[in-house]
Amino acid sequence: MAIAIELVLRGVALAADPRFPDWPCNQVKVPEISVAAVWAGPVIDDVGDAWEKDPAIRDLVARLAARRPPLEQAQKAISDVITGTESERQTKAKLLFAGLFKSLNDERSDVMRGIERYFRKQKEFSAQIRSTILQLRELQDRPDPDQSRVDELTNRVEWDTRVFEERRKTINFVCEVPVVIEQRLFALARAIQQSLE
Amino acid sequence: MTPTTSIRGFLRRRRFHFTRTRHCLLGLGVFALIGTQASAFTAYVSNEKSNTVSVIDTDKFTVVNTIKVGQRPRGIELTKDGKSVLVAVGDDDTIQVIDVRTHEIVATLPSGPDPELFTQDQTGKILYVANENDNTVTIIDLHRRVPLGEVQVGVEPEGMGLSPDGKILVATSETTNMAHFIDTETRRIVANVLVDARPRFAEFKRDGSEVWVSSEIGGTVSVIDPVKHEVKKKITFDIPGLRKEAIQAVGISITKDGKTGFVALGPANRIAVINAATHEVQKYLLVGQRVWHMAFTPDEKYLLTTNGVSNDVSIIDVANLKVTKTIQVGELPWGIAISQQ
Repeated sequence: MAIAIELVLRGVALAADPRFPDWPCNQVKVPEISVAAVWAGPVIDDVGDAWEKDPAIRDLVARLAARRPPLEQAQKAISDVITGTESERQTKAKLLFAGLFKSLNDERSDVMRGIERYFRKQKEFSAQIRSTILQLRELQDRPDPDQSRVDELTNRVEWDTRVFEERRKTINFVCEVPVVIEQRLFALARAIQQSLE
Repeated sequence: MTPTTSIRGFLRRRRFHFTRTRHCLLGLGVFALIGTQASAFTAYVSNEKSNTVSVIDTDKFTVVNTIKVGQRPRGIELTKDGKSVLVAVGDDDTIQVIDVRTHEIVATLPSGPDPELFTQDQTGKILYVANENDNTVTIIDLHRRVPLGEVQVGVEPEGMGLSPDGKILVATSETTNMAHFIDTETRRIVANVLVDARPRFAEFKRDGSEVWVSSEIGGTVSVIDPVKHEVKKKITFDIPGLRKEAIQAVGISITKDGKTGFVALGPANRIAVINAATHEVQKYLLVGQRVWHMAFTPDEKYLLTTNGVSNDVSIIDVANLKVTKTIQVGELPWGIAISQQ
């Protein structure tokens, strides 16, 4: 709890990277995943949104991007769909990867925006607690402080600090989500590439 | 003390303590399904976050055991007699000794504070340890398990490479961006070579003609002439579609014949394959996320890489330069060592 109060008094100056003042995570903020970071397969520049026009690919993208199917099942589903001649397999692989890349990158961006929104609210909340602490200090510094008011403000700080601390822990947990999405995309991309070998 | 009294006490005292919570990445690992045959060696992988060492049978390429070790295991090596695995557990300020037969921790070494990487002399009697937080290299008698002395080096030493004749130790300094050449007999620095930002690792060719030093932030490998103490070539990496910051050179392995070098490129998720004669990049192999270190099987048929974010180990077929399999290990795999059995 003392940590939470300290953070409040420091104005939640926790953003590690000055380029992104609303980014609270220890993980370095990388706004978008680049194709090259996860994919060494055929170039997908010419795919565009063509993956959305192929019902089988579109459905598979939706299922795999939902992150629910275990990876083993996902790998099997990928190898089941990437079939046919070499040219057909290449085309399907490109469509599937392009769809997953778009879907998971978008989802990751949404999550990151949400984290930043949440952190901004947390900063506002910390300012509110800080203001209460300053009032409390002022009261305590008086020669004859109003004890009932001191107790009231102490109780408020105590309660708000607990809420602040719970939210801070939640942020730490949520910070893992973009990483998990990136891991999922990498694993699926690798499975697609392996299905081409 | 209850949280309430704690807060009230805090408000009364108005003394503030600041602790920055640190946490690492939680990840998913993957299994690939392509089978691969190999000779039966054993690989040991240090998992920095889960505080374990994964034991991999390189015949089946499966994890056969997981050994609990100290806090934050990173640097890992087999002793020269093959009887023990040494693992630096930085947050416990020691190096633990694991018996390869029982997989139990049987001893600790007086490594100095925060050991990260270390190297042995050819006889297996002397261990050189980089102490990142103490700006020193600690020298340990491995048989008697006592410190023999230390050498003051630049700020935050990290990479350690010993020349094949054992006469020169190269320690890289993360903050001063230098490779310090240390005479192992006099234990004095004989030369400092400036390299690119945040040097991480040093590896000699077996014939002693070159030492390669990787720079994480610089994203390069400096090829240094160990006699003239000059950078004779700087290897750079260019991967279309990847920003330069994503290409971070870390671990290095060079084949015994000195013909081919492999460099781990961290968040570029790739291993660069380098013609070690011309120092030109031949190929990039996509392995796992945040590839950090690597080790050959003793027959050099396979190269195993640790992938810190995807929590797995990739197997590279060295002859065909293909990634053939992926093995899930613990969280944040960092270092790897491979025994003969």
